[in-house]
Amino acid sequence: MPQLGNLALAIALILAVYSIVANIYGARRNAPDFIVSARHALWAMCAMVTIAVAVLWAALLRSDFSLEYVAAYSSTTLPTVYKITSLWGGQQGSLLFWTFLLSIFTSIAAFQNRRRNPEIAPYALAVLAGVAIFFLLMLNFVTRPFDLLATIPAEGSDLNPLLQNYWMAIHPPSLYTGYVSATVPFAFGAAALITGKLDDGWIRSTRRWAIFSWFFLTLGNMFGARWAYEVLGWGGYWAWDPVENAAFMPWLVMTAYLHSVMIQERKDMLKIWNLSLIGLAFGLTLFGTFITRSGVISSVHSFTQSGLGPYFLSFLITVTLAYTALLIFRSKQLRSPAEFESYLSREAAFLFNNLMLVGIAFAVFWGTIFPVLSEAVRGVKITVGPPFFNRVNGPLALGLVFLMGVGPLIAWRRTTTSNLVRSFAAPVALGVATGIVAFAAGLRQWYVLTAFSLAAFVLGTVLVEFRRGMNARRHMVSELRAKALVNLVAKNNRRYGGYIIHIGAIIAFVGIVGSSFFRTEVKKSVHVGQSFTIGSYTLRFQGLDEADTPHLESATARVQVLRADGREITVMSPAKLFFKRPQQPATKVAIRSTPLSDLYVVLAGIDDSGQTATFEVFLTPLVFWLWAGGLMMVFGTVIVMWPNVRERAAIATALSRSSADERELIDAAPGGD
Amino acid sequence: MKIRPRFFIGGGLIVLAIGYLIFSSIRTTSEYYLTVPEVAARESELGGQAIRVAGRVKPGNIAWDPNSLTLKFEIAPIPDVDAAGAPVVKPVIESDPASFRVVAAGEPKPDMFAPGRDVIVEGKLGPDGAIAATQVMTSCPSKYKPKQSQ
Repeated sequence: MPQLGNLALAIALILAVYSIVANIYGARRNAPDFIVSARHALWAMCAMVTIAVAVLWAALLRSDFSLEYVAAYSSTTLPTVYKITSLWGGQQGSLLFWTFLLSIFTSIAAFQNRRRNPEIAPYALAVLAGVAIFFLLMLNFVTRPFDLLATIPAEGSDLNPLLQNYWMAIHPPSLYTGYVSATVPFAFGAAALITGKLDDGWIRSTRRWAIFSWFFLTLGNMFGARWAYEVLGWGGYWAWDPVENAAFMPWLVMTAYLHSVMIQERKDMLKIWNLSLIGLAFGLTLFGTFITRSGVISSVHSFTQSGLGPYFLSFLITVTLAYTALLIFRSKQLRSPAEFESYLSREAAFLFNNLMLVGIAFAVFWGTIFPVLSEAVRGVKITVGPPFFNRVNGPLALGLVFLMGVGPLIAWRRTTTSNLVRSFAAPVALGVATGIVAFAAGLRQWYVLTAFSLAAFVLGTVLVEFRRGMNARRHMVSELRAKALVNLVAKNNRRYGGYIIHIGAIIAFVGIVGSSFFRTEVKKSVHVGQSFTIGSYTLRFQGLDEADTPHLESATARVQVLRADGREITVMSPAKLFFKRPQQPATKVAIRSTPLSDLYVVLAGIDDSGQTATFEVFLTPLVFWLWAGGLMMVFGTVIVMWPNVRERAAIATALSRSSADERELIDAAPGGD
Repeated sequence: MKIRPRFFIGGGLIVLAIGYLIFSSIRTTSEYYLTVPEVAARESELGGQAIRVAGRVKPGNIAWDPNSLTLKFEIAPIPDVDAAGAPVVKPVIESDPASFRVVAAGEPKPDMFAPGRDVIVEGKLGPDGAIAATQVMTSCPSKYKPKQSQ
């Protein structure tokens, strides 16, 4: 069976190489047969990679320890669901999984473009095949998933217990999906540069891919944060660890890209900027894999380190140089006749929002690689921890939130002062009122007051937008309020879905600010029967329950939680686990979550008698809002991605016209401005 | 693409502000990431400087007081190993490799803390030559280290 996996990967590599040659030859010589054949080769490649994945999955499920990978990342006692997720638990498997996703997305892109984009599609597919070749080379020659062991062990060494958690089951696939799907818009951007077809065709053709990628990057970051919060037991959800930063940077750049392409679609501006952003987003996905796999940057997270680093770095440098050369080569054609007219225009707000997002991404990048740089330049490794990232990104986040409120309310091109006053009066009043209420409630930190006021201001602007749209509808077609709202969102899903994402982002932002500024922590050793307090809660340690299973030993504390008036609210059960293979302790956190605050109890230690336990307890306000905001962002993105009949019709019509007409058509569409 | 000069001013101001934030924050938040021998070599210049020290917990002299949550131990250099994981024998035999006392107060003992385990200690080097730690982190268990050829 493992031989089948190896064979499938070898054939997939040959097919990918053939597909590049056939695509380019077919496009240059105008030989459609070759382009069809190249497409079929990509589909066959996808089938081959699928076979390889199936072989590895089968080996994991059958606990076939003759495979090094299975022996290293699984065991007979591992629950079935984690045998399945072991596919991405280790390096070889996760690269195979990456390649699997890439080949699926490539096949879908090939299918979508079998008649569309005849000029750039062959080159875009060639670029996608080129990326696939890199990963297939790794899988065939450097980090082989189907290597066999000389002596077959009786038992595997099991998946890292920290990864045996449902968030970890879904976090890597989400993040990988986000990473890998960013390759498609990148490939089309590169193809536009190669062919010189530099209108916004490549953006339109891959708009859904970009949103899809952003959607999964958002999910991946959220799941990762949630996992850290529930499993790692330090009371927080984000530590600015290099691995987290690696997932966060592509998200920032994709966010910037999704906004700036709107300027190109409407105003035919910022072409170089958009092409640079998508190149940067793709480069950062490679960079993320590079730093997590190479061990160049020390991380608290543990990954198998290997000789993969230099290969990824070489590939990253090659791609960056080639792409930059293409950008320079086409720079004359990329100049735009249009120009910015006023600071008080939506395009200016978008431009500044882009600078903020890329600025945050740059600060995160700088902080992440700073130890390496300082060691190279000054001979001493200097690390910057969370304080650095918070100090830099805190003010930038405020600027970003401010622009989030301003952007949607001001018109394209320019806005008159009277317009400005009319649009902003209510939201500004709401923001100021919130600030005053927060001050009266006793909040004094300037950052928190500003953040909450700005959040209220942005919510106000979104509400104004919804009301405007509903009134316009009711004016035209006289609908009931609820129906007007539903129709408004359904008919302009891209715009109003975007606003819903904004609401979600604001809710998450409030959660982040609240949980960062108002977290309290108590650490205490207590005997059975003793109690201690945190905030308005009293916690009483009632005793320990011990258990022993083939998989793990556990000690669970019973902690009674009482309100100030002495009434019992609940009994929480934080636990210490001791996994037997590998022998490793772990912590099971008990969390009681409410919209106002989370009570987070960690059993940090027990003495041998079982009579004394050390607890670490956190009371974190508003952290609930972060997850709620995340859900809202997901909901908004689904609305944005929902197929829109009218938009399709518009694109179909536009495809038969020149691009200038097309822009007018979109501009003239209701809800477009 | 033409952008009027005043947009350069606006954009430039933002870029400058971001640059300033990064520059000033790096200076105030940086920590030296050192090994135990490096701490020994630079001992005189490290007073008050935030440091992160990677080392190995020395067996013996480990004290844990659960009531005050105080952990005291000594941190020694991590021996060099070759690719196969065997200790590298140095040509010059050092009499007693430098080690430092670590006092971590107010923090629970990490799960995987044990003699001989590699740890990262975050804190400051005090005038008494002991590291006052704000955090002790255990490194990943051996399984997640690079695979050793057999």
